[in-house]
Amino acid sequence: MNVPRAGQGIAAVRPKVGVFGLTGCAGDQLQILNCEEVLLRLAERLDIVDWVMARSENDAVCRLDIAFVEGVVATERDLEALRTIRARSAYLVAIGTCAVLGGLPAMRNDLSREVLQREVYHQEVPFLDSVEAHAAADFVPFDAKLPGCPIERHELLQTINALLAGTRAELPTMPVCWECKAKENLCRVVRFGEVCCGAMTRAGCGARCPSHNVPCAGCRGPVEEPWWDANVTMLKGQGISGKEIADRMRRFSAPAWMTLNLEKEAGHAQR
Amino acid sequence: MPSGSSGARTVTIPHLGRVEGHGGIFVTVGADQRVEVDMDIHEGSRYYEALLLGKRYDEVQGIITRVCAICSAHHTVAALNAIENALGITETHRTRLLRGLLLLGGTIESHALHVFALALPDFLGHGSVMSMARTHPDEVSFALRLKQLGNRVQELIGGRSVHPINTLIGGFGMLPSWIRLEQLRAELVAAREPLIGMVQLAAGIEIPGWAARPTVFMALRPWEEHYRFRGVSICTSRGDEHALEDYRDVVRELTVDHSHAKHSLLASGETFMVGSLARLKLWGHLLEGPAQEAFNLLIPQGGADNILLNSWAQLVELVHCLERGIELCTELLGMDESGPELLEHEVRAGRGIAAIEVPRGTLFHEYSLDDQGIVVAANIITPTAQNLANAEGDLRHAAEQLLTADSACDDASLKLALSMVARAYDPCISCSVHVLREPGGETRGTAYADRP
Repeated sequence: MNVPRAGQGIAAVRPKVGVFGLTGCAGDQLQILNCEEVLLRLAERLDIVDWVMARSENDAVCRLDIAFVEGVVATERDLEALRTIRARSAYLVAIGTCAVLGGLPAMRNDLSREVLQREVYHQEVPFLDSVEAHAAADFVPFDAKLPGCPIERHELLQTINALLAGTRAELPTMPVCWECKAKENLCRVVRFGEVCCGAMTRAGCGARCPSHNVPCAGCRGPVEEPWWDANVTMLKGQGISGKEIADRMRRFSAPAWMTLNLEKEAGHAQR
Repeated sequence: MPSGSSGARTVTIPHLGRVEGHGGIFVTVGADQRVEVDMDIHEGSRYYEALLLGKRYDEVQGIITRVCAICSAHHTVAALNAIENALGITETHRTRLLRGLLLLGGTIESHALHVFALALPDFLGHGSVMSMARTHPDEVSFALRLKQLGNRVQELIGGRSVHPINTLIGGFGMLPSWIRLEQLRAELVAAREPLIGMVQLAAGIEIPGWAARPTVFMALRPWEEHYRFRGVSICTSRGDEHALEDYRDVVRELTVDHSHAKHSLLASGETFMVGSLARLKLWGHLLEGPAQEAFNLLIPQGGADNILLNSWAQLVELVHCLERGIELCTELLGMDESGPELLEHEVRAGRGIAAIEVPRGTLFHEYSLDDQGIVVAANIITPTAQNLANAEGDLRHAAEQLLTADSACDDASLKLALSMVARAYDPCISCSVHVLREPGGETRGTAYADRP
């Protein structure tokens, strides 16, 4: 196995790496390709042997030291692929909110696939390979998870660097508000009465949206302790309804909110 | 009949590499050398149109951009335009220019990725851009810089290179600073010369003739008498022209049993191609300056019907995008820098359509809103979905040509040739799938226009 242990020199190893997309938009794989200035150096340090999006001659069976997985499980085929990837990989990294939390495709898991199809087609259509969309991380254990829709390039590189150095990357766990305040942005909730998810969403993006005068959409998923009750009280104080708050919060990470009071708040009357 | 005894065989590419998303190619060669081809699109369905129902109009762009990362800026602008049409909002001139620049950034990134990293390795005998870097280090290094430049444009205007966040109904959350716009213009200018070097490299590569096949092309008529990506009507190379509002009649969608993505036909029953090659075929004469020169150099006689030329057509468009990007920056820099750039608007019921030429062809978005601004209907037709039926025709034709020239043509050569044809379309499979797979072996011909 080529994953270096703590303290082990990194120069000697060139781990075998696979990059995989389940059902999704390919945005997190694209973010790897978007590391243009270091892409060729990355390719020197990592022996990328299986990446269908970027290569045509792939080794689809060899043991992998590190595998990156993007997307949700939305077909039986996805699940089979995911289990195969887990079985052949020493260190498995979930990239993106879909893989970590279910993302947008999991937004309407409250409705059956048949109902969704009827909404698209206005008719009953039997179907083959379509199952409820769930985060890849719900099915197999992952060794690291990078949230974000898409992932942040610096967090990806930090994670790879840490792996090569035999350590683990420490990614921020505080809410987006923390980064937003550090940038001295005006608060989207208190000042503008907008539904901003920043107080309950995991930081790491540099509060990108509020820094553009746009409320946080919650694309990185909830912080560990989102202080739901206090935050809902604050948002409601701005005249925002519980349903609206719940709708926004569940956009990217609906399953993660199931355990909270969000469903009650939404009255489950989304439509 | 046993395989091999009379030339009958099957050739399978279960998972096509160097494309976005999950698709495969299945070829059956009969004893009589008749070829059947299925492009099997097995990307999972995400039901985006259903996800939008019940959402507020100002949530749409943030959701629908996630259909596809590579064309996220294009989906965003199409959605914004369609909803603004529904609400009766007219974008300001400055917003129009900024959105135009954002679209160019997305197209530069997408085309640079496809031409240099996904398609070119085939022509230079490599399996990936990483291995190509060993024999063509300068070219690969420039290609990555060009791709990065496209991303920089998107970051500056859209706030992020993938899934823009700064783009809102009525304008932008924040205007880019003119100092950064000035820097961007300088970077676009600096990319001109090396890009022409890439055009010359491409001009020295011979494009095989076995992929040539008479094709119907479709593209939007540009909104002014210049080469543009935003258009006013739908035109085909058969000479007909249609209003944008009639897009459902022009592009007839149907479901087929081997694909999670719908297929498209014209009303005449013909398949058609959308994308860079189609745009050049119909509007290449409107190109100017260096883009016109690249066009003359790379596309013989203004566009032979050979899909392998689509990558070179994208290269011509890259030259155009740099020139147009420089023009847009210059025009913006001549304008006032002060913000905000966000129109006030009223919510009302309405229906809006938008069509944009995006990297892979014509993209249609349509939304209906109720009087509270809630989405009650959504329809999206992506370029890749429109191209799939034509791509199968091209794949079949290419296989027949190769087998006619050499009936003993080995599987590996056949696979490479077919992969090159499929890749030439630059298929974006995530985009193309927002539907389902129907069971059974029969091809269903459900006309999309029949939908309520």
